Amino acid sequence: MIALRIGLAALFLMIAVTVQTSVLTNIAVAGVTCDLTLIVVIALALSRGSEWGAIAGFVGGLMLDIVPPADHTAGRWALSLAIAGYIAGLIRRETSGSPVGPLGVALTVVLGTAVSFFLYSATGSLLHDPSVDWGEFGVRLGIAAGYDVVGAIVVIPLVMWIMGRVQPARERRRVAP
Amino acid sequence: MLKDLGTPTTRSAFRSAGETPLRSAGTPRDVRRRRTVLVLVILACFTLIVLDARRSAGSPVEPLREAAAGVFGPLESTATSARQPVDNLRDRFAEMDRLKAENEKLKKDNEDLTRELTTSDYARNRAQELDKLLKVAPAYTMTPARVIGIGGAQAFSHTVTIDAGTADGVRTDMTVLNGTGLVGRVVRTTQGTATVLLIGDRNSTVGGRLNASMALGFVSGRGEVGGTLDYKLIDPKARPKVGDRIVTWGSSGNAPYVPGVPIGVVTSVTANEGSLGSTATVKPYVDPTRIDTVGVVTGPPARPPRTQITGKGN
Repeated sequence: MIALRIGLAALFLMIAVTVQTSVLTNIAVAGVTCDLTLIVVIALALSRGSEWGAIAGFVGGLMLDIVPPADHTAGRWALSLAIAGYIAGLIRRETSGSPVGPLGVALTVVLGTAVSFFLYSATGSLLHDPSVDWGEFGVRLGIAAGYDVVGAIVVIPLVMWIMGRVQPARERRRVAP
Repeated sequence: MLKDLGTPTTRSAFRSAGETPLRSAGTPRDVRRRRTVLVLVILACFTLIVLDARRSAGSPVEPLREAAAGVFGPLESTATSARQPVDNLRDRFAEMDRLKAENEKLKKDNEDLTRELTTSDYARNRAQELDKLLKVAPAYTMTPARVIGIGGAQAFSHTVTIDAGTADGVRTDMTVLNGTGLVGRVVRTTQGTATVLLIGDRNSTVGGRLNASMALGFVSGRGEVGGTLDYKLIDPKARPKVGDRIVTWGSSGNAPYVPGVPIGVVTSVTANEGSLGSTATVKPYVDPTRIDTVGVVTGPPARPPRTQITGKGN
């Protein structure tokens, strides 16, 4: 069961990275694409918890770092998404008495976008990457957050439903009494 | 703040009195394990960043990139071929705007043509000049390729992946262009894919020559989505004019840029504050958001014919 879950999570992340780099960029809003990988990481964190969020964020971010056309220092997206995933997992635990509502999910996605984008830009500044432009930060963050919420409406229920299907029976009993 | 969220005591404060604990996520052991995972992941990230940051010494992440490109290159290629429905959707939304824009453009073209008719001699001379200049640029051997991945604006870098790699003879520091002008240069290659740094990236600087006066200068990217460029002339006294066209002047050994490729057209000129000279804003011929088929200059350009001049030598 654990192997199946890990395999599914890896599959989701790979699909997300592929679609984000080659399909979604064609429907970008002002150049900003939907962070599908971040959304999948948040969905995994919401359905499995902080540890899963952090590890899935690390793996997904690492893929974004090394899959072409990435040309920045590897590890920046990995760090950003790992921390965003960890925080999303914490939010889920705080409300574990009931499943996270739609508004909660949307706020989690906005928070995750803000945290990951800020960390990515900040690490870029620390590494003296000349391409980081703080003047554009606010606008791009706003567009990205809105776009991500739209993407999350479709993706998060799907991922959480599938991950819920492969939960072990004893855990399912405990969550849904 | 994270510490507060993690302790079981604050957790119980959130819970109402009658509620039973539904899952055992709050025990100290679980909290410890969760934090260990977080710390390990963050340490792994920092290790990666430090290892990859010193590019000069050859990054140990390079084999990882190779492997990732090997796996994701074909995937991206497939996904790009399957994006037809997405394209159709975008086109449908864009249709109205496009028609309006086209109408405007046709009206403007009409005016321009009417005006040009009255000044046709001037225009013809200018076209001849342009023609001559283009003939100076030798014909290149090119490898066609398709764009299969584009970086988002969140990453700030303007890079694309193309589906031609070392197997097709593509190497780093090769010029990439398409039918309308200069696209960028190859910065990274693997077996089947290559990463192209677009000229609109802030890391990109291209030597550009003004068509009208042959003056030399540098075109650098602004990092904007539309790919707008800045152009600074070497000679501080020379001033570019609005409407001037800029072509590459080429690098030694034709890498990374071959000479004679059109870059863009000057749209506005502002004087530099506090120093001599002026900076021109350049609109590139290539729309960076709409590039699809590109050519990589792989072969050495055919040497322009040079007839030897023999003098009497008096």
